[in-house]
Amino acid sequence: MINTFAQIDHLASAGRSVWHRASALPKLLLAAVYVGLAVGTPSWGVLLVLLATVLGLCVSARVPRQLALAAASAPLLFSAIFVLAHARTDWVQPLVLIARPMVASLTAVWLVSSTPYPDLFAPISRVLPRGVGDSLFLTYRALFALIARVERMGSALRLRGALARPMRERFPVLGEAVGTVVLSGFERSHRLYQAMHLRGHSGRICGCRHYLELTREDFWVVVLALWAVAASLVLGHWRGA
Amino acid sequence: MSHLHIPDGILPLALWAPGLALALAVLFATARASLGSGPRQLALQSALGGMMLALMALPVPITAFDYCMTLAGPVGVLLGSAAGYEVSFVVTLMLALLGQGGFTVVGLNAFVLGLGAMVARPLYERTVPALGPARAMALATALSQLLSSACWVGILLLSVRLTPGLAGEHVIAESLLRAWQRVGAAVVLPLLLVAVAVESFLGYGLARFLARVRPDLLPAPARDRAGTPAGPASGPGPVEPASTA
Repeated sequence: MINTFAQIDHLASAGRSVWHRASALPKLLLAAVYVGLAVGTPSWGVLLVLLATVLGLCVSARVPRQLALAAASAPLLFSAIFVLAHARTDWVQPLVLIARPMVASLTAVWLVSSTPYPDLFAPISRVLPRGVGDSLFLTYRALFALIARVERMGSALRLRGALARPMRERFPVLGEAVGTVVLSGFERSHRLYQAMHLRGHSGRICGCRHYLELTREDFWVVVLALWAVAASLVLGHWRGA
Repeated sequence: MSHLHIPDGILPLALWAPGLALALAVLFATARASLGSGPRQLALQSALGGMMLALMALPVPITAFDYCMTLAGPVGVLLGSAAGYEVSFVVTLMLALLGQGGFTVVGLNAFVLGLGAMVARPLYERTVPALGPARAMALATALSQLLSSACWVGILLLSVRLTPGLAGEHVIAESLLRAWQRVGAAVVLPLLLVAVAVESFLGYGLARFLARVRPDLLPAPARDRAGTPAGPASGPGPVEPASTA
């Protein structure tokens, strides 16, 4: 997952597809429509259309294959528990239980891969408490520095043989190593706060409203929302055997 | 186990909708509780939230399996209940945006992760006078992990009970019960115990290190703080830059 963050961040900022040019709010609403329909529909016909559409979205947004595959397969383990429970009944319900989270996960990956994080977090932070909204931005900013540090720490521990120690010794050593990173995080946060204070921090980190600036490409977002709604109306009764 | 985030579309509406509403209500309540904590506390929360996400990305080899640590217990001890829950919510939301766990079940996933973080500080404060910081942290981490896992299993069982009888509720319940009896007891329980032990040892090492290098970051025992008029209410003490070398 370490590379996943970096890959998604790079793609969201540097991507040039039609979805990268569309504004954030319509894409967020489209994602909500797709997740809502996927969760609400009992029809595997609708789910099939949604899955095909969202796969098309990922391909057209040039989401790397491994990323899409990781998102699609992430919920499988949990789904398997419920699929197991339906194994003796019919084949429709297991397929529905597998397809629903796949549609939702792929929609999420398409959304974050085609939207830079300030534009994505700004509308979300408007509906959350101010501290939590700001925490979204700061956590994301802190994450990249910490990931690099944690990665280096992991390599150092492996190279110095810390992970070859007996189990009882291995994890306290890991805990001490985590302690150094925690301290570094605290100090980094403290400096960040001081820098924010010097720059005139007003109490809300991102007051930007780019996410509200509509573009011509939003037309395609609306088309895809209507397509999904139409598919659910036409195929809603199609529930298989 | 608490790291196995629940995806969208599996749980019934009767479970995830109230879960989401309740999680948001708790979030707004904790935000009110931490209103006076200031931007410095916010920066600390974010650093620990980033740390949680970064550690979740680093698999730890346990025999043939890789385990992803959550750090919910130690984060709860270091930040306190309110801020610990807020961090859990933010981390869960970010994971949902990455396709790990669902949007509709953000509330329930935040509960699973946040419940452990919320109970960790009170547990630590009550046990630290007798056990010392490292062992108290290990105990708080272990109990918070167990509580998170119990919450996860509770949600699973509740979802079986609330799932509409598409295929017959008794069939689902019977199959799940049989699967749990066969696979669960043999595989899941030992893995859960190993996971709890890993997190506890990690918490132990972390607290031992902090107690040696920066004891001001660890919360004081409950009875000490009760006697201190201006002690920190929900977070660690003031953080001054210091060399960690």
